[in-house]
Amino acid sequence: MEIERPRSLDGALAALAAHPGADLLAGGTDLMVEINFGRKRPEHLIVVQPLAELRDLDRNGAVRVGAGVTYTRLLAEGGGSFAAVREMARTVGSPQIRNAGTVGGNLGTSSPAGDALPVLAAFDATVVLRSRRGERRIPFADYMTGPKRNARAPDEIVVAAEWRDPGPAQTFLKVGTRNAMVIAVASLCLVVERARKSVRVALGSCGPTILRAGEAERFAEELIDESGWDEPLDVSEAAAARFGELVAAAARPIDDVRGSARYRRHVLGVMARRALERVGSVVA
Amino acid sequence: MPSARVVKNRTEFEGKIYEELALVQGADIPAWSADAELRHVGRSRLRVDGPQRVSGRARYTTDLMLPGMLHARVVRSPHPHARVIRVDAKRALALAGVRSVVDRTSAPELFDEEVHYVGAPVAVVVGETEEIAADAAHLVEIEYESLPFVVDLEEAIADRTRVQRKESYSRGDARRGFREADIVVDARYTTSTQLHNCLEPHGAVAQWDGERLTLWESTQAMFDVRKGVAKAIRARLDDVRVICDYMGGGFGSKLGHGHYSEIAAVLAKRLGRPIRCVMDRREENLVTGNRSATVQRVRVGATKDGKLTALEHVAWSGTGTEDGWVASTTGPSNGLYEVANVRSEQFLVLTNTGPFSAFRAPGYVEGTFALESAMDELADKLALDPLALRRKNYAKLDPQSGKHYSLKRLDQCYSRGAELAGWSRRKAGGTAGRHAYLRRGMGVSTQVWGGGGGPPAYATIHLNADGTAIVRAGLQDIGSGTKTAIAQIAAEELSLPLERVRLSIGETDAPYGPASGGSMTTASLGPAVRLAAVDVRRQLLEVAAGLMEVRASEIHLTDGHAVAGRGGKKLALDEVFSKLQNYTVIGRGSRHPNPEDVRLRSFGAHFAEVEVDIRTGAVRVLKIVAVHQIGRIVNPLNAKSQVEGGVTQALGYAVSEGRVLDRLSGHVMNANLEDYKIPTVKDVPDIVVEFVPDLDRRANNLGGIGLGEPPIIPTAAAIANAVANACGARVRTLPITPARVLEALRR
Repeated sequence: MEIERPRSLDGALAALAAHPGADLLAGGTDLMVEINFGRKRPEHLIVVQPLAELRDLDRNGAVRVGAGVTYTRLLAEGGGSFAAVREMARTVGSPQIRNAGTVGGNLGTSSPAGDALPVLAAFDATVVLRSRRGERRIPFADYMTGPKRNARAPDEIVVAAEWRDPGPAQTFLKVGTRNAMVIAVASLCLVVERARKSVRVALGSCGPTILRAGEAERFAEELIDESGWDEPLDVSEAAAARFGELVAAAARPIDDVRGSARYRRHVLGVMARRALERVGSVVA
Repeated sequence: MPSARVVKNRTEFEGKIYEELALVQGADIPAWSADAELRHVGRSRLRVDGPQRVSGRARYTTDLMLPGMLHARVVRSPHPHARVIRVDAKRALALAGVRSVVDRTSAPELFDEEVHYVGAPVAVVVGETEEIAADAAHLVEIEYESLPFVVDLEEAIADRTRVQRKESYSRGDARRGFREADIVVDARYTTSTQLHNCLEPHGAVAQWDGERLTLWESTQAMFDVRKGVAKAIRARLDDVRVICDYMGGGFGSKLGHGHYSEIAAVLAKRLGRPIRCVMDRREENLVTGNRSATVQRVRVGATKDGKLTALEHVAWSGTGTEDGWVASTTGPSNGLYEVANVRSEQFLVLTNTGPFSAFRAPGYVEGTFALESAMDELADKLALDPLALRRKNYAKLDPQSGKHYSLKRLDQCYSRGAELAGWSRRKAGGTAGRHAYLRRGMGVSTQVWGGGGGPPAYATIHLNADGTAIVRAGLQDIGSGTKTAIAQIAAEELSLPLERVRLSIGETDAPYGPASGGSMTTASLGPAVRLAAVDVRRQLLEVAAGLMEVRASEIHLTDGHAVAGRGGKKLALDEVFSKLQNYTVIGRGSRHPNPEDVRLRSFGAHFAEVEVDIRTGAVRVLKIVAVHQIGRIVNPLNAKSQVEGGVTQALGYAVSEGRVLDRLSGHVMNANLEDYKIPTVKDVPDIVVEFVPDLDRRANNLGGIGLGEPPIIPTAAAIANAVANACGARVRTLPITPARVLEALRR
């Protein structure tokens, strides 16, 4: 195994251009597990973890989170417009894993269970990729193409995720098989972007990619159309139940070691109702 | 010198009673009385080896690196049942640093032609480093012929050839008892396979010196490893020396030698170099033992006022490929309650999965879940308080032998536990939580276990002229703090500060000591250590008497001084030592037999408080109150840790742990710590620990018995009962997953 430790992003891009498809090592919380379990034997490894260019976190105007930003750093961020990000970061692994794991790692691995991904999906984030050929910006919806598959070219590095601030009406919920150090059985991120009259809900661990629950989104938008986008939403029992049903219907879950498809669908409905009740009342 | 004699003794080990002969010397002494002024025993002391353990200086088997040592890596079967047709090691042997590859043709003593579970050993690769051996293991090409298999317990139960009846018990007439019952609960319970996942993996390092083998092994039972390995490799017992300085947990899975021990011993001899064979985490989850999954049927009959009339318990335990023994799942039903009519049967069920092994109170953990769940179901039907039902059927005498107990304070465990848990707040149907979808509930469950220990166990104490005492015993500290307890017992009788007591343990050249299992280590060895210390003290007083020019009978040891009479002459022990020069006082002690006329058992009660999310089905355990009765507590701090550890392990068993098998491939789907969920710090609730202060003075000269296993026994049922109380969901399957809670709610 050949390991390269470039000192700059340009150096990393050059190394990747020379060895397209080489594995990129950031926090190592996915890759090292794969290697240690003998599931992966990369021939070429490029270490991007120390690169300063990937560590920017900018919240003035549009939000930009560098690929090398760890979950510990996200947890330290304040402010209502980062509420779901913080909620998500808190559920990632243990302190050690949060110290090492990065947003870019989640994007690179593109596991449907990647905790950050439903948040990026619900935020309508843009994935910023760079190669020696230049920079590409891809909407998250077009980025993830399947389980552990994405639109990144073999010579590209994920450098950041960007999104416009959707306001404070947002939440992230996750169900695992214990209270810490768990991969999600199911997760959900709900955003009500009042300024643009848009509701977005994204589901994790419930299909081959992060799924958006389009019908549920439109249902909620109609609800808020009636109650007013500047007013808190008082969700009726029936409306909450319907929203839950629509979210559950959008899932394409499977049975695995962590949980059954049936339970996943059920619990997504429960999380959706709770998320709507929680977020509906938040007005900037 | 006191004369030796052979005595008959009855010892309860892992829920079964064994009658054995043992050699004892001299006479025993009575247990310390309740008002004895003790300076070490009964006081919390930090672990004598704590600094070594937490600083990384403690050397475990897995840390051992001998000059010239080679590393063995086992190549394991990916098939649950197959015949090994051919092993081709050419590619593996071509890798630089590979020293040897052996299979059944080159080492028939190590391998079978047929493999019976995923993970069964097929070949071993020996390399210069662990990494080389691991890499080469992937290069060994093996051809198999697949054979039919069954990994699912229920499927295996249906196949008569896989089922053996191993134990049955009855008293009275169960049929008549059920006819007399006004109400009968008849329920089926199932439990999952629990993996030990000791912090330190299983493993051994072997080194030969001529015909003499030294084996470093992570084990709970050095002497059994010696016996097993000597037999396996046809060596003389005294040519095998086993060393276990420190170990990081065993929980029953390290009570005998492993296949790794034989690999290390056999290949070290062949290759003329030390061999290290240590399991990795995947192997820990596949091949080093587990707690049997069970299917159990419990029928309980009672009169309207809650008096039990009959109890029937039939248990099927999946033992994997282990066809020798099975744990006593029905033990709690046979012996906990006063009920005239009992019938129980214990079946062993073979499946194509890794062999089961002892696991912290084997059988009793599984059986108590079923029995104590059924008791609550009965209490529900009778509209009785669960605690009242248990009190109503309280056994004052041992129901199996008719004997008195040496001590039974279960009633105090119930009442004190109820007080600490706030049981009076419990309401039938549970109470409301913070949200409409959260329900809270409380549950109770009972523990019964042995752990009285017994002979044979011996110790010597060497008191040197520098004023230090060295306790020598064939003891391994499994990690529970036995070392500290032993040092405290010696320090007590020698009137020495704890730091002046050293321990020379962890190897089989020492006087025989018991296995660290069955909750019996301290109760077996402690009394022998105490007698050895008393022997030293007697000799020391004789010396001091000479120096003080008084009769030995007139002086006693107190606070590091020999004191003549009341307020008489005092002589510091240090002065005695300084006058002695190169002199060693040697004391000897042996464990005397248990009393014949009483039954030694420990009791306890756990109270659980839980919060259930009735929409997601998630169970949050908020608090566990654990009150135990074992008599004398040698080290309260250690004892509390022991209970916290037991409760935590039980919590995993109750709500998150369980081996997942794929029925079609026979593979274990969660053979790692990522997918097999042991509790994390965020899952562990508030654990309140208390002990009944009464001493068990009939048990042995310490006045107390073992605590290793009791704290894992009752917790799962207490949690299940609390969940049922909270929201009406009676989950009869462990672990109590959210999906199972929802399913029970729908019923």
